[in-house]
Amino acid sequence: MRWAVLAALAIGLLLLALYPLVATGYGIRFMLQLFMWVALAQSWNLISGLTGYVSFGHVAFFGTGAYAGAILVTTHGWHWGPASLAGGVAAVILALIIGYPCLRLKGPYFAIAMLGLNEVMRVLVSYFEGLTGGGSGLSLPTLHASGQIYYAMGAAALAVTGAAHLLITSRVGLRFMTIREDEIAAEAMGINTERYKLYAFLLSAFVPGVVGGFFARDQGYIEPISVFPLLTTITMIVMVLFGGKGTIWGPVLGAVTLFVFQELVWARFLYLHQIFFGAIIVFVVLLMPRGILGVLQERYRLPRTI
Amino acid sequence: MGVTITPTMVGQVVISGLLAGALYSMVALGLALIYGVMRVINIAHGTLLMLGAYTTFWWFRLLGINPYLSLLVALPLMFFVGMLLQRTLVARVVDAPELSSLLLTFGISIALVNVAQLTFTSDVRSVEFLTGAFLVGPFALSKSRLVAFAVAVAITAIAFWFLQKTKLGKAIRATSQSSEVAMVCGINVHRIHLYAFGIASALASAGGSLVAVMVAIQPEMGQVYTFKSFLVIVLGGAGNYPGALLGGMLLGLVEQLASLFLTTQLSEAVAYVLLVLVLLLRPTGLLGGRAT
Amino acid sequence: MDDGHLLEIRDLTKHFGGVVAVNRCSLVLAPGKIYGLIGPNGSGKTTLFNCITGLERRDAGEVFFRGERIDGLKPHQVAHRGIGRTFQIIRVFPELTALENLLVVTREPFEVAYRRAQELLRFVTLDLLENEYAGNLSYGQQKLLEFIRVLMRDPELILLDEPAAGVNRTLLNELLAAITRLRDQGKTILIVEHDMKVVMGLCEKLFVLDYGEKIAEGPPGVIQADPRVIEAYFGR
Repeated sequence: MRWAVLAALAIGLLLLALYPLVATGYGIRFMLQLFMWVALAQSWNLISGLTGYVSFGHVAFFGTGAYAGAILVTTHGWHWGPASLAGGVAAVILALIIGYPCLRLKGPYFAIAMLGLNEVMRVLVSYFEGLTGGGSGLSLPTLHASGQIYYAMGAAALAVTGAAHLLITSRVGLRFMTIREDEIAAEAMGINTERYKLYAFLLSAFVPGVVGGFFARDQGYIEPISVFPLLTTITMIVMVLFGGKGTIWGPVLGAVTLFVFQELVWARFLYLHQIFFGAIIVFVVLLMPRGILGVLQERYRLPRTI
Repeated sequence: MGVTITPTMVGQVVISGLLAGALYSMVALGLALIYGVMRVINIAHGTLLMLGAYTTFWWFRLLGINPYLSLLVALPLMFFVGMLLQRTLVARVVDAPELSSLLLTFGISIALVNVAQLTFTSDVRSVEFLTGAFLVGPFALSKSRLVAFAVAVAITAIAFWFLQKTKLGKAIRATSQSSEVAMVCGINVHRIHLYAFGIASALASAGGSLVAVMVAIQPEMGQVYTFKSFLVIVLGGAGNYPGALLGGMLLGLVEQLASLFLTTQLSEAVAYVLLVLVLLLRPTGLLGGRAT
Repeated sequence: MDDGHLLEIRDLTKHFGGVVAVNRCSLVLAPGKIYGLIGPNGSGKTTLFNCITGLERRDAGEVFFRGERIDGLKPHQVAHRGIGRTFQIIRVFPELTALENLLVVTREPFEVAYRRAQELLRFVTLDLLENEYAGNLSYGQQKLLEFIRVLMRDPELILLDEPAAGVNRTLLNELLAAITRLRDQGKTILIVEHDMKVVMGLCEKLFVLDYGEKIAEGPPGVIQADPRVIEAYFGR
């Protein structure tokens, strides 16, 4: 059984790796965005799914990484690969600066502080025009790199899903979860909740930053509203809730289902699509708190570690 | 930078700050009520404010009557919308972990904002009424802000009278003290939740009606008010109703002062920094703890 | 300063707003004994527990554990010094399995922790339920799980907040036997309990709190006859 799963995974990965050889330009762009959403959803899962600290502003890390990466590419002539990694580091630094104070806040306080953070980042980026181009945005030199960005986004999605796997099947991940389950009991049992919260938060900020850098390179042009939209955070949250928060494959399942749906059906109905997102959140919270995967786990008594 | 700040400017800022503050206080009182009785942070609070603003806009656009009179319709209407939301959705998560209520009200907010986008379009609307200002000595008092201030003070005063003097108001305060004790005393806590959500929605929508005359109306306008109301109740101490008044005034003042020294853009960030600082230094709010 | 005390509390005071929850309370625990902490509802017993374990910050006073000052430490630091506790209202991690509830609290190598967890689960006959979510266990089972979770860290001092409440007779007897066995292994146990039969039968020494003040201490027999204690319980 275990080998069958591993083999299926390996074959799947191989197919995805070979896909660009046969794919159309649209196909590659479709998959590249799908990988991006898997990476983003899975990152949100690390902080909010595992520790239960809901981040309503996770796109702040995405945007920060996008700007850091784009600035390094345009003004310092970096290659987009290292520049995007630096974008991830920038996101982690931001997470450290705000996480240190904000993670001492309990539940709703943290959530709203994060909601505000996104607004502030957008304001700051617009304000420091010299560095960021302000409201008129930042253009990157032309480069056709969809193929490479496909692999880069894929690697990011794989890395963060791998990290989720390592965490959820280890005691470190269990310690993250005790924060969600009962922070006071966790402390009384000797778990340094402040430190573990910060670890989870930093970890969850890194990949969105990197992916932001990839995104900036892929789009070739970024502006404050394109990399700090609340909708991106909403989408991450909906994907994770729908698939199953706190699980390894739930965010992947949610991202794939909803992204495919979005591309095929909803892209033409932007507002209806967002109403649908709102409805999914309400529906999942009220009727299916563990998401689709949670329902499957319960019905078929599968282990939580999938 | 480089501009000398005169006492007149400071005076003007203090006046503007207090005028804006009264409105913040009123709106935040709604958020505080819901938090007080249910321990739920209603992320959709600003969304309800947005709906109030649209009610006023359409009232004025379609009927052409004084927009302030729309309060007479908007308040009862949103009171029932609020009760409906509570009855059908929020009531189910009151006792659940706070994660559930946060996400639920977030989902409600997204859905409502986009229903508004769909029905009202994302065009920026405005209500052209009461423009201009009174000149009092060296100070300019915007007419619409003055009216907003007066109405907000009146509504807030009524709300406090209600909380202090009426049987239902006392029951609401008792429930904020302790749901269990209230229940033991024979208070129907579910009914209290229903009324509290209704009143809170009415307060938010009153805020919407008043700002409709002053600022641009669009479906996403509410989010910033959710954030500011939250900041206000944090400043005043969560669950502390008089604290919400003080917090609102304080926020109004700080924002205006910041705009004197910084650009308007950056003064938005000031509110955020203030929030984080207060949460860190005085996590129970400036007035401390919950009111007795 | 090591004077053979395991825990020493000196003049501990804790206010909530204008209300004094614990008032200049002092007590000393020697190792290897079972102590009881009793008093009417709202007399400050749980607050005292919270102050010892760092969940509440005391307003005044000192707490020493094995001669080291521990007031002002964070709860997880207190736990690392060797104090474990249970809660009045059960606080297991509901969406972790019974086994995970145990594994997560130690830093020992996995194999060691796993073996220990299995032993403890067998000890309270929960071994068949090790992969069940803690939230799906019955009240009594959760209570046992919370109890063995404390033992997982092998603490020197164990604070039990109403271990007998809501537990049926059979289970209670097992629990009491387990507590006695722990004492025989050299552990020190401080119990908050309302069930006087349990307290009188189990504890070697009692402390009585009333309105946050320690009004009496001594062996159960003496306490039972103490007029101040009788007044605290029945007088008003």
